[in-house]
Amino acid sequence: MGTTASQLRKDLLSEYQELTFLTKQEIILAHKRFSELLSKEDRNIPTPRVPMEKVLSLPELKSNPFRKRICHVFSTSDMKDGSLTFEDFLDLLSAFSDSATLEIKSHYAFRIFDFDDDGTLDGGDLEKLVNCLTGETDDTRLTTEEMRQLISNILEESDIDKDGTVNLSEFQHVISRSPDFVSSFKIVL
Amino acid sequence: MNCFSDCSTTVSLVTRQTLELWRGTMKEVGGKFGTGVLSYFKFLKWLLMFNIFSFLVNFGFITIPQLIYHPTPDIPTGVSFKGLEILTGAGYFSHTVMYYGGYSNKTQGTGGWPEYNMQLAYFFTITAYMVLCGAALIYSMASSFRKKYVLADSGLGGAWQLLCSWDFSVTNERAVRQRKNNLRIQLKESLSEKVQVALLPLTERLKHYGVFLGTWLLSTGMALGCGASVYFLQSADKASGSLLEEAATLLLPFVVSLINLVVPLFYSLFKKIEHYSNPRMQVYAIIVRNVILKMSILGILCYYWMKDVANTFSCWESIVGQALYRLVIVDFLFIMLGSFFGEFLSNVIGTKCIQSLGVPEFDVARNVLDLIYAQTLAWIGIYFSPLLPVIQIIKFFILFYLKKVSLTQNCQPPRRAGRAAQMQTIFIAILFFPSFVGALSMVAYTMWTLPPSDNCGPFRGLNTTFSAIQIWMDDLNGVDGFQWIVWIYQHVIRSEIFYFLVSLIILVFIYIFRQITQGRKLLIILLRQQIVNVSSSELSGPKCLVHQCCCV
Repeated sequence: MGTTASQLRKDLLSEYQELTFLTKQEIILAHKRFSELLSKEDRNIPTPRVPMEKVLSLPELKSNPFRKRICHVFSTSDMKDGSLTFEDFLDLLSAFSDSATLEIKSHYAFRIFDFDDDGTLDGGDLEKLVNCLTGETDDTRLTTEEMRQLISNILEESDIDKDGTVNLSEFQHVISRSPDFVSSFKIVL
Repeated sequence: MNCFSDCSTTVSLVTRQTLELWRGTMKEVGGKFGTGVLSYFKFLKWLLMFNIFSFLVNFGFITIPQLIYHPTPDIPTGVSFKGLEILTGAGYFSHTVMYYGGYSNKTQGTGGWPEYNMQLAYFFTITAYMVLCGAALIYSMASSFRKKYVLADSGLGGAWQLLCSWDFSVTNERAVRQRKNNLRIQLKESLSEKVQVALLPLTERLKHYGVFLGTWLLSTGMALGCGASVYFLQSADKASGSLLEEAATLLLPFVVSLINLVVPLFYSLFKKIEHYSNPRMQVYAIIVRNVILKMSILGILCYYWMKDVANTFSCWESIVGQALYRLVIVDFLFIMLGSFFGEFLSNVIGTKCIQSLGVPEFDVARNVLDLIYAQTLAWIGIYFSPLLPVIQIIKFFILFYLKKVSLTQNCQPPRRAGRAAQMQTIFIAILFFPSFVGALSMVAYTMWTLPPSDNCGPFRGLNTTFSAIQIWMDDLNGVDGFQWIVWIYQHVIRSEIFYFLVSLIILVFIYIFRQITQGRKLLIILLRQQIVNVSSSELSGPKCLVHQCCCV
């Protein structure tokens, strides 16, 4: 009774295992959790899409300050609404898994931090990043002066070619010197 | 066939999830308290694996053959099981397979079972376990050092490090809010640090150095003083038959554990006087002081066992094994007490009585050092009490759940985003260097030099434990086909030239690699300069051309 729709096919499972960093158990668990997010009608569509609000209701993403950016980065929808198919979901889990390499993680971290999607981290992106991590209300933000000082410190530390923005290579260079990054850039179901 | 493969996948999934010990609990702890506190529990699990391996190896190769050939221990008349043995390890237990003295030295071969040389089995099991442990430690230390320590910049907590260390695995709403708070405070602190140029006048610096010297002398002096008092207490400690005197043997472990609990609290008072430029240096200072204290006490105890006990008592290995058993048990009781005072009472005081103190944080460094100390005791005790890992396994198991409950009930997540990865490397390094190497050298000294006791244990009657190998080699010499083993033994293992050459080669390699590293650092500086030059010439290049075109 609906077993084929709610279980993953064998060949798909091994294909997913080859294409991502996830193990078989993790893919099966991801499929189970994804199916729980689908509404009844969507279950029989070939490639169902879960809207962003439902994805954000997952306990692992609910309190993450970057949850909306994560959905936007991994979403392949034409309407840019942050909705995820199962393969997008697997991409997400694969990038955040234990066995993903530093290059993959830093690549996706760069895309998540790039709020205006222009391929570099300029002052505006950095300001949004700091605000995301320190708080949204007025009394928890940094003052304008502190923000300016902080951004110039960041750029001094990481902008190697001194063009005022941090591109992907410079970002990856900074990340490679931060040994805590790999262990903290992790989301496990 | 489809059904079969489905079933096997489900079965393997279920077994994987149950065998992966404590996976759910650790995820919960990591989600609420972050990777720093989680590293304590991962360390505990790792040490537990060492002990489980040790137990399997010892039980399989040493205890089971002993139990097959002598199923019942020969207990002298008049000694019965009283409850006190669980604490003291003496009395009834001292004649069982728990300790070195309970093993026979004969080559078993009776009753249809194949021949089993107990001496060689004991020697090789212990040696193989120590060598494998050492290899595992060196490997994880080297890979951890390469991944986490070398790559980290020496910059003072740069802003990028703080931002990139956001812990994505934290899922608890309140914890996330608290982390954001802490991150904001740390960012503000790092901003103000950069603004303050720390060039103190000479008199201030001299005063600081004077304070450092004073505190370090005081802490080292306290460690040595505690060691000396333990030594004098030990010499006054004689165990014999009556119940009261057996209970009195618990006094020494009690004093040792009390010192280990109280003196570090005293050391943390020094924080108020000293002013380190880097908060990380403060943590390192605390760690080094605690390690000196614990290792000096253990060193004094080992010295006493090697020098005095070995010459005085008849079955001295069992006596040493019992002393270690008592230390392990009392240490466990004190860790439980320490959890009570350190976390539960601090929480009560911080929330009800003195509100300014607040909820305590989980002190990862102190707890990890306690674990390292406990593991050192187990490693020293491998030779004298082959079943000591059983006690250690039970202890760590209970400790995991105890600490988890104490953590969730009493503590709050840490305020500073600590350098968890670097601390991990340091802890593994401390586990290797004073702890494992010390235990290994003591066991090696015992096996190599000290004469085993004459009337108990597998090596009775020999000059040293190592002579068992010599005898075996002599036996093999007479057998054809095994000459090459004897040749290896005589010309490689027993010759000094071999070790000298190996050390020389290793030193040469270290020197070469160091020169390569220096060269590479220089290359990095040159390349960075080149990047700046290229990009600035790109920015100014086309403009110049246009200008030239216009001018011309």
